[in-house]
Formats: sequence, structure tokens, C-alpha cells
Amino acid sequence: MAKYITSIAGKDYIVEIIDARHVNVNGQAYEVDFQSISGQPVFSLLVDGGSYQAHVYPGDEGGLQVLMRGSLYEANVVDEREKRLSAAGGAGAVHSGEFVLRAPMPGLVVKVPVNEGDPVKKGTVLAILESMKMQNELKSPQDGKVTRIQVKQGDSVEQRQIMLSVE
Amino acid sequence: MFGKVLIANRGEIAVRIIRACRELGIRTVAVFSEADRSALHIRLADEAYPIGPAPSRESYLRMDKIIDAAKKSKANAIHPGYGFLAERSDFAQACEDEGITFIGPRASAIAAMGDKAIARATVIAAGIPVVPGTEGVGNLTDEELLKAAPKIGFPLLIKATAGGGGKGMREVRSLAEMPSLISSARSEAQSAFGDGNVYLEKLVEGARHIEFQIMADMDGNTVHLGERECSLQRRHQKLLEESPSPFIDDDEEFRQRMGAVAVKAAKAVNYLSAGTIEFLVDKHKNFYFLEMNTRLQVEHPITEEVTGVDIVSEQLRIARGRQLSVKQEQVKMQGWAIECRVNAEDPYNNFLPSTGLISHLSSPKGPGVRVDTGVYAGFQISPYYDSMISKLIVRGDSRAQAILRMRRALEEYRIVGVKTNIPFHQSIVEQARFLAGNYDTRFVEERFSLEAAEEGKQTYPEIAAIAATLVAHQQAERSAHIIARGKRDTSNWKWVSRWERMHR
Repeated sequence: MAKYITSIAGKDYIVEIIDARHVNVNGQAYEVDFQSISGQPVFSLLVDGGSYQAHVYPGDEGGLQVLMRGSLYEANVVDEREKRLSAAGGAGAVHSGEFVLRAPMPGLVVKVPVNEGDPVKKGTVLAILESMKMQNELKSPQDGKVTRIQVKQGDSVEQRQIMLSVE
Repeated sequence: MFGKVLIANRGEIAVRIIRACRELGIRTVAVFSEADRSALHIRLADEAYPIGPAPSRESYLRMDKIIDAAKKSKANAIHPGYGFLAERSDFAQACEDEGITFIGPRASAIAAMGDKAIARATVIAAGIPVVPGTEGVGNLTDEELLKAAPKIGFPLLIKATAGGGGKGMREVRSLAEMPSLISSARSEAQSAFGDGNVYLEKLVEGARHIEFQIMADMDGNTVHLGERECSLQRRHQKLLEESPSPFIDDDEEFRQRMGAVAVKAAKAVNYLSAGTIEFLVDKHKNFYFLEMNTRLQVEHPITEEVTGVDIVSEQLRIARGRQLSVKQEQVKMQGWAIECRVNAEDPYNNFLPSTGLISHLSSPKGPGVRVDTGVYAGFQISPYYDSMISKLIVRGDSRAQAILRMRRALEEYRIVGVKTNIPFHQSIVEQARFLAGNYDTRFVEERFSLEAAEEGKQTYPEIAAIAATLVAHQQAERSAHIIARGKRDTSNWKWVSRWERMHR
């Protein structure tokens, strides 16, 4: 048996996997049947006779994203033992507060309207990236200071390429 | 009369045109850029020719290469689709000069309607109402635009003279913010159309965007095929269209009055083939001519579904010199059709375009469902072209049935590998305002939030928790297995070497 703590939208669900057909969620027993559709991250899940199709894929900031019946759920699954270990080790104390802007898609850098050392607010445009004929403004998710600009106007960037940081 | 058509386009519209040609027994020639070797339109066409590197200005926008491909393949007609060269009068003219039939309007009509300032002057002369703006005055400098703005009044729009699809368009609320908006509009227009000229237009608030489909033949017979409601837009990009318009609904007198004006506008430029007259309509049923799109429109299928007229096949017939197959009094709109544009965009992350390999694709099927697409499982979505990957069209006997069908079809649609705006459409078709047909062009931006829409929706967090946990559990078990197999492999090798030593 494996025990996990899965959080969705700030709420924890204790999920115990008894065997391939049985799980408990917060102590309540469910009969499940779970299979991937043709080896894809799309799953057919039967829960007590209810049929659900879920697309489950890794999120950008760790965790798993579950797209199901027109809603997106961001789930964080932690093995209960891991959680106990990390609580004991006082993990989570290392938080630099640095935001690394990575190119969300391949494209052309149209403009970098900030300079290194510039103070920025949450929502300040850090770069404009052109892709699929659209200009997309990439904004800062936090207040801070611009550091390490690694791209300039006219550069082509690959997906996930680091563009700059905000500390 | 032509017997072979070159399609100067890619994606779903190239596929759509090839299908119409096939049905009429016309041979087809596809062209493709280096990024599109494995695209669907190449597989479906009778012949295919490469026309250059991935960026469109080096391939799909190269008239010379496309005309060369037409000559090489002995195609005696070219269908431009939409976008790319579809509204370039010089391309239509170049085809004519080479003795190739351009399947679309005459070059003169494209030129007249293509420059929006000239278009407005033309329709004003025909007595058609237009939205106030810098009409027919040609290309203005920044200073002239700033001077003209207060006369038009705020809020207003800066629009690209050569534009469409919301590119190079900016909304201005005050004179103070105008200079920076003009320069960003110009630079976007320059990169999208190779022309940085812009004009100003008064913003009609609470406006609905309703357009009429026009068809005209060489004898000058011109009909309209009713309207399409295109008010559901985001950043001036249409996302969902329906026909008829719930705003016009059963007001047949109003429909025919607008339709007659649309026909008049088309006749003012001696129009030929399929075209669309776009109107802005305010809540008092005043309507203003916005622009004419001198091409086949993305959303043409909803008109096909309610009128039964195959618009692309009609274009081919007209280009072959035949008369329209319908007269105005024979055009009847029956039932209701809705189209959702499925874009490779992440609705949960500011609609950022998403690229990648489509690893799994399962299209909705069943009664009343039509999917026009150029992608398939295994296809790579590249960053070079538009993010629209498919159009999901449904038809029902009533609007209610069409909406229920759309909900059902959206839920069936599975695209894995790139993020799509399907969840956005699923939320829209649940909205009370959408159900009531009570929405304008600002609805998505001002009154709709995906988060809020999802709040009221029935959710299944426990089921999602089970799904996520089972996936995580499988992954953990799989990695444990790999370690375990590693151990056994080591001992196997040891065993083999011992065995070899023994038998030496």
C-alpha cells in the first residue's frame, strides 16, 4: 500500500492506494479502474462506475496538471514518507525569490524594454516575443530587480531558453 | 476552363479546398515550405512542390515561386485560400498576366476593398453608412493622426491599413497614450503585412460584429447567404462564430435590409466570387460598414451548414464561368450552426501560443459535427504560422440544440502534445450571457474570466486527485522497476562472464 498527500487548490487529499482496483480518499473507499489510452497521457478512469477521461501532464512549476471535463486542476502529489522526511529536515527554507524568465515558446525577441538593474513591479513587461504571428508580452510575476539579461532584440530563442532573471 | 488548381496556402484551408476540387474532379497541386513537408495538404493533393524556407515571407508569400510552381505543374488556376496572398491585388494581377485563373475577385476589387481608406470612400459614394474615422485620406503621419483623433473622439481604434485579424490594432482611450500606441501598431503592422500604415476609427461601444456572406458570378448576379455573428472575440481575434446571429434571429426584415446593403457594397466594386461584408451593429440596430474581406473567410463553414451552399465549390464553378447555383429567393437559412476555432494557445496562461508535437488526437464525431483541420497525431506545430489548428463546427435544428451539441463535441475533443483553447470554449458555451445570445465584441475581455467561469462550474477535485495520484504512483513504481532491473542486469553480466570463464 502506498499513501500520498495530494493537494488541489489549497486542499489536501490523503490518497491511499490499496491495490490496482481500490483507493481511499480521506478515508473513503473507492473502486477504481485506471488505464492509459493507447500509451498516451490521456487516461480513462472509472470511479465507482463513473467514467472520466483525464489528460494528465507535468505542470510548468512541477506537479501535475489534470485536464478533465473542461476544467484544469493543478495537483501536487507527495509521498507521505517524503512529506514526513522533508518536514523533519526543515525543507522549504531555501527559497531564493529569484524568477527566471524562460521563453514559453520558440520565437523572435522583438524587444527587451528593461535593463539590468532596473527595478520592476509585478506585471511589468520584461520582454516581447513574437511567435505564430503574434507579439506576446512576457510580464514579471513579482516585484524585484532585473538581473542577467541573456537575450537582445532580434535574437531567436528556443522554447525554455533562459531570457533574463528578476530577483 | 481549368482542370488543375494550385492551392497557394497551407493548413486546414488548403485541405478544405483540395476536398472541394476532388469532389468536382479537378486535379490539385499543393505547395509547401520546409516546415510543412509532412503537412496533411501535401498528402491529399495530387502533386506537391516545395517553395522555400519556413518563414512565410520566404515561401507562402513568394508570388514568383508560387507562379513558377503553377507553370511547372501546368496548373491553370490558383486558389489563394485566406491570409498569405489572398488579398494581394498584385498577386491576382500577376496570375491574370500569366494566363492563370485567380479563384477569387478581380484584382481591381481587391485593390478597392483592400486599402480600407479607399474601401470606405467607395461605399460612402454608394450611400452606405460607415463608422466615423480617417476615411479615404490615405497614409497619415503620426502628427496628422494625433490631430485627427480629437475630431473623431475617444475611445477610438488604430488599425492597420493593410491589416486584418486584429494585427496592428490598438485601442486608444486618451490623447496622452496615443503616440506610443501608434508606434507599436505601426511596428506590428510592418512585421505582419510589410506595411506600417495605420488609420483611425471611432470605437462603437457595445457593438456587435455581424457579417454577410456574398457570392457573385461573372454575369454580375450577386446574392447574400445570410449573416454570421462574430462578436465573440479576444484582442480582435474571432474565437467563436454562429449563424444565424442571435441578435437578428427571426427579424427577417432587418436581415434582408442588411443583406441588400451588403450586396450593394459588393456591386459597388463589381465583385466576383466569395466575399464578406463586415458590419458593426449597435443595440438600436443601427449598422455601419466596417470592411469587406475579399476572400474566402475562415468561418465560411457555418454558412454552408445553414444554407446548404458549398461555398468553395461555388467559387470553383464561378471561376469556370458558370452562373451561381442559387438565386436570392432560394437562399434559406435552416437550423443553427456554431464554429469554435481551436487554437494552439494556453487559455490558463494568457493565451500564449503553444508549439510541439501532437502525440495524440481524437476528434469529436457523431450527428451534426464537422471538423475542418490540417493536423493529425504525429504532426509538429511549428512557431512559423498561425496558431489555429482546427475548426470545430456543429449544426443543430435550433440554437439550443447546436449549443448542446457543441458542449458534447468539445468534451470529446482530445488533443495531446500542445495546449489548446478548448477549455476556454467549454467555459464560454456554459455562460448565461452566451446562452441568452446577449454578448458584444467586448464580452470576452471585459465580462469573462476563465477562473470565475470555472468557479461556478461543477468540479471533481477528488476524482482529479485520484487521477493525479495514480499517475504519480505509476511513475514512482516505474522508476523503482528500472533500478531493480539494473541490479539484475549487473548480476546477469557477472553470471555470463563466469559462464564464459568456465567454458574457456
